[in-house]
Amino acid sequence: MTSYRLSKGGQIDRATTLPFTFDGRSFNGHGGDTLASALLANGQQLVARSFKYHRPRGILTAGAAEPNALMTIGTGGRTEPNTRATVQELYAGLEARSQNRWPSLSFDIGAVNGLLSPFLNAGFYYKTFMWPASFWEKVYEPLIRRAAGLGKATNEADPDAYEKAWAHCDLLVVGSGPTGLAAALTAARSGLRVVLADEQPAFGGSLLSDTAALDGLAATEYVARCVDELRSLPNVKLLSRTTVIGWYDSNVFGAVERVQKHVAVPASGQPVERLWRIAAKHAILATGAEERPLVFGGNDTPGIMLAGAMRTYLNRFGVAPGRKVAIFTINDTGYALARDLEKAGVDLVAIIDSRLQSSVPYAGKARVLRNAVVTDAKGGQALSSIQIKQDGRFQSIDVDALAVAGGFSPIIHLACHRGGKPVWSDEQSAFLAPDNLNGLSLAGAAARTGNLADCVAHGSTEALAIATQLGKSGEAISVQVEGDLSGRVEKPLWSIPDNSGKAFVDYQNDVTRRDLDLAAQEGFGHVEMAKRYTTNGMATDQGKLSNINAIALLAEARGVSPAQVGTTTFRPFYTPVSFGALTGAAKGKHFQPIRKSPLHNWAVRNSATFIETGLWYRSAWFARQGETTWRDSVDREVLNTRINAGLCDVSMLGKIEISGKDAATFLDRVYSNGFAKLPVGKARYGLMLRDDGMIYDDGTTSRLAEDRYFMTTTTAYAAGVMSHLEFCSQALWPDLDVRLASVTDQWAQMSLAGPKARTILQDIVDEDIADESFGFLAAREVSLFGGKLRGLMFRISFSGELAYELAVPAGYGESVADALMQVGEPHGICAYGVEALNVLRMEKGFITHAEIDGTVTPADLGLAKMVSATKPDFIGKQMLKREGLSDPLRPRLAGLLPLDPTQGFRAGSHILSKDAAATLENDQGYVTSNAWSPHLQSTIGLALIIRGPERHGEEVVVWNGLYNEFTPGRICDPVFLHAADEKPHA
Amino acid sequence: MPDFQLHHRAALAGVTAINGARIRLTPLPEGTVLQVLGAPAEVGKSGEIADKYGFSVRKNGPADRFWVADQPVSSGFLPEISAQWPELSVVDQSHGRVRIAIEGDAVEDVLAKGTGIDLANFEVGSATTTLIGHIATHITRIAPDRFELMVLRGFAESLWHDLETMIREFI
Amino acid sequence: MASLISCPHCGSRPKEEFEIKGAALPRPAPDAPQSEWFDHVFLRENPRGRYDEYWHHAAGCRRWLVVTRDTASHEVEACRDAAERVPA
Repeated sequence: MTSYRLSKGGQIDRATTLPFTFDGRSFNGHGGDTLASALLANGQQLVARSFKYHRPRGILTAGAAEPNALMTIGTGGRTEPNTRATVQELYAGLEARSQNRWPSLSFDIGAVNGLLSPFLNAGFYYKTFMWPASFWEKVYEPLIRRAAGLGKATNEADPDAYEKAWAHCDLLVVGSGPTGLAAALTAARSGLRVVLADEQPAFGGSLLSDTAALDGLAATEYVARCVDELRSLPNVKLLSRTTVIGWYDSNVFGAVERVQKHVAVPASGQPVERLWRIAAKHAILATGAEERPLVFGGNDTPGIMLAGAMRTYLNRFGVAPGRKVAIFTINDTGYALARDLEKAGVDLVAIIDSRLQSSVPYAGKARVLRNAVVTDAKGGQALSSIQIKQDGRFQSIDVDALAVAGGFSPIIHLACHRGGKPVWSDEQSAFLAPDNLNGLSLAGAAARTGNLADCVAHGSTEALAIATQLGKSGEAISVQVEGDLSGRVEKPLWSIPDNSGKAFVDYQNDVTRRDLDLAAQEGFGHVEMAKRYTTNGMATDQGKLSNINAIALLAEARGVSPAQVGTTTFRPFYTPVSFGALTGAAKGKHFQPIRKSPLHNWAVRNSATFIETGLWYRSAWFARQGETTWRDSVDREVLNTRINAGLCDVSMLGKIEISGKDAATFLDRVYSNGFAKLPVGKARYGLMLRDDGMIYDDGTTSRLAEDRYFMTTTTAYAAGVMSHLEFCSQALWPDLDVRLASVTDQWAQMSLAGPKARTILQDIVDEDIADESFGFLAAREVSLFGGKLRGLMFRISFSGELAYELAVPAGYGESVADALMQVGEPHGICAYGVEALNVLRMEKGFITHAEIDGTVTPADLGLAKMVSATKPDFIGKQMLKREGLSDPLRPRLAGLLPLDPTQGFRAGSHILSKDAAATLENDQGYVTSNAWSPHLQSTIGLALIIRGPERHGEEVVVWNGLYNEFTPGRICDPVFLHAADEKPHA
Repeated sequence: MPDFQLHHRAALAGVTAINGARIRLTPLPEGTVLQVLGAPAEVGKSGEIADKYGFSVRKNGPADRFWVADQPVSSGFLPEISAQWPELSVVDQSHGRVRIAIEGDAVEDVLAKGTGIDLANFEVGSATTTLIGHIATHITRIAPDRFELMVLRGFAESLWHDLETMIREFI
Repeated sequence: MASLISCPHCGSRPKEEFEIKGAALPRPAPDAPQSEWFDHVFLRENPRGRYDEYWHHAAGCRRWLVVTRDTASHEVEACRDAAERVPA
């Protein structure tokens, strides 16, 4: 005997038939069904195998707390494991597969674990898998990995879109049951901006399963009336299918809206999930209370479900739980279910009431056994009978469905996300939200036990208090209720003796009552210890149904009150959140913003290969016909630039305009060398230090006018330097008149280097740029193309060749680069990228951030002369004086060559004296940069070596411990090329 | 080579305006953008100067303004301003910043996908810099349903593509 | 960590618009003794409670701010422009 669909009733759309499959078998459901209600309607009660013991499991709940009915939904890139069937909305074509079983759900070999259960109880993994030691890596770990987890994730890419958004409101109401609707209405009517969020597709919460009447209306009609009014108000934002997953600082809430998880093929213009950040002035948690299971033998048998869930399947989905139903209850809500079952024509055979008496008059046909408990349920894959103990005597009743009503725990999780601990109330027999929550309050069943009328009143008065606080006025809502049996506090029944079968506390992790007793017995009775020792509460359901029962059982085992056991730490998220929702739109190419140079298209047209430098796309090299490797291109670019000329895009280096009366003083304070006396029209290379004396960045700053400087930085540190300068100007020296503007994007900047550079440039620059007119380090505004354009030109060189940097307004960059290539063609110009740039600078011993790695001082790089002895103050001055920073044994810059030019070495390799053993004690320094020099026809390197400058000519060994390479080499001058006619100064 | 044809390439030359019933996205012509810096009091008063020349003034910080115009200014303009008002630093950002117009009744919903500003309280005439997704963007509310976005040239295409994704559900 | 910071120039903004430098300590005089400089550069208190920090509204007005927050509760007590001179 199994569950079945009633011929009438429920809020489903019987006119719409939705075909779906479960484990390859075809079924039909109706519009409005969840996967769970549709499976139950089709009599499919066995839906899963448990994690550890592979026990047959059925559907226990009708909502987000479901521990058993976890399935894999969808196919391909849309495969989603561990989906709760109780929250998955049914759609036509849905494919669902059960998990954690082989070969099938009904015949699962893993069930043999049940026989091993004496060895698999709490903490078993601390006591096993230790011997022999060699077995760990080869046997135990692979086995455990295969056994671990429930569902399997797909390796295919997720084809769907995700999105994030912000929302702002005066009041966020979480939950749209009777309490939440009353709160939202009261607040909205008073003029507050309200956001109402509910995890269900329909608003109404518990009212959707209720048969009470409110203000003379059926519960669902009452809901419709409230929602219609809320929809009509412009100051209300309604978010259905939205779970509020976390409460964060500044009263910001995270929420996930399942925009298209209920359709077969999501529309591509919309996301499937939307992550909301909601900034609320106030929030009301109207989240209700979670019904608890009772702990008795075999309480996990398919066919057993929570009483509220049974009521939901009955009233909302028109599904009867079975043909012979029993109710095991500790409170009056069991009788509300009894009434609804019998009204629907379902055969209720017994009500097992743990109390001696109840105030509810029961006039139905079921036997009522008072002062009775269910001690065991039997049936294996499907419930067949229950064993009852009453007045010391046992009896058995045949049933195929059992409702369990174990009492209610307020759903307070969000209120505990910011470090507050819940407070145990003896009076309510429940953990309540912490006190003194700023900006958040609870109402209705989430705050205290009460009936429907209480919930409505409470939600309304809470909202009214908030409205008043925010300067608005309103009216409280109340409601007349009939047929409501809720609201009385009952003593819980934590512990039921005389179980012969396993009594489960945590269904998802297969934690039994015995496991908790064992934990307490073995000294792990502290709530945080017991959690880890037994894994209670650690599954994907996060202990929603198990934590309170476990705390109470631990309390009993330790002989203390639950207040003394306390709860484990609550943290976001309330329910699992997909990585997609957290990623939003920032995936694939959009993972991070792309920053393009104004010369990007010029580079593309010249066949550039790009490399990412932070967010920038930089041209690395420009391949030509016939070149097959990157080295072919780079070697050519390097050689050609020293013979003819090369054009390189350097637009992405940071550019900052510094102006104001005190600009000169300011620069003197941020650079280690002097800038205040830099003549107008000149550029100077500068070092910027950190407070600890280490070099932070290097660059060239030019004085364009008395109070106007143009600073360049490295690409990687452009943003950092700008922030640093702003800090110095605003926080350190606000009395200095300094203005800073980032102009990196305003100027396209290109470097033209090589013997022909001047000739080529003269063709587009209007004024005379002969050496006498535009000498080394000149920096001036220039006129181009017969006055058509103004640019900035700097005679600086990073290649060691005659070189100029030309900056033009970015929109004309491409055009100017084209012009230079055209003019330069007869002179043998080529484009060159950052790879060639790097070789050229290395050949001349120029440094980059490969050498400036955060651990070097100016003296380490042979630049001690760039530290002013006379400036009264500059960043880093004092700490640079530390004794250790002038230690002659600090590694210092030198060049490195392999003895055999056919051999190479890698950056990061370490230096050993010849014949020294490869040990850390013998470490002489390390290689910072290396490249193939087509001029030297050898690998060349720059390195930081102990007494490097004094050891030119010495033979050493370049040692790479990662690759186990030992390369004989020679320390040398870091300036590799001293060509007789190289004259950057001419 | 004084007779070389100089071409200006707009940063958003490769994109097409999008027109939906509820939202429209348009790349704006690259005219003039000046960044005006100085002491807060001076910068605050500079609005009068901007008005005289027909610029729209957009606040960026307590001592930081953008002067915006759809047309480019002559090359002598900046030296003229700097000479007349030496207390202000006027930096040309006409190429460094790119402007995008976004308008329609869904404009607040679209922008809320990127910025945490409460746009319901961001009145016409308000201007500020904020994050839109991961890109710092200057926004000005031109009209109840129209915003102008201003972004570093290097990020213009990237921001445009992000906006294309953000408006998709309203097209 | 606070999710929203109320920048005195821009109003309430998500923390992602800011970069955090560290403790807002006064810089020693240029000629202060080495030991004072050493402490300033390398040593920090780590209080449970009120803490002044330099924050940069990098994706906003680009002003440096001093944010006073409680390191345990994350409550932000104050947020002012770093250029303001606060009475000692």
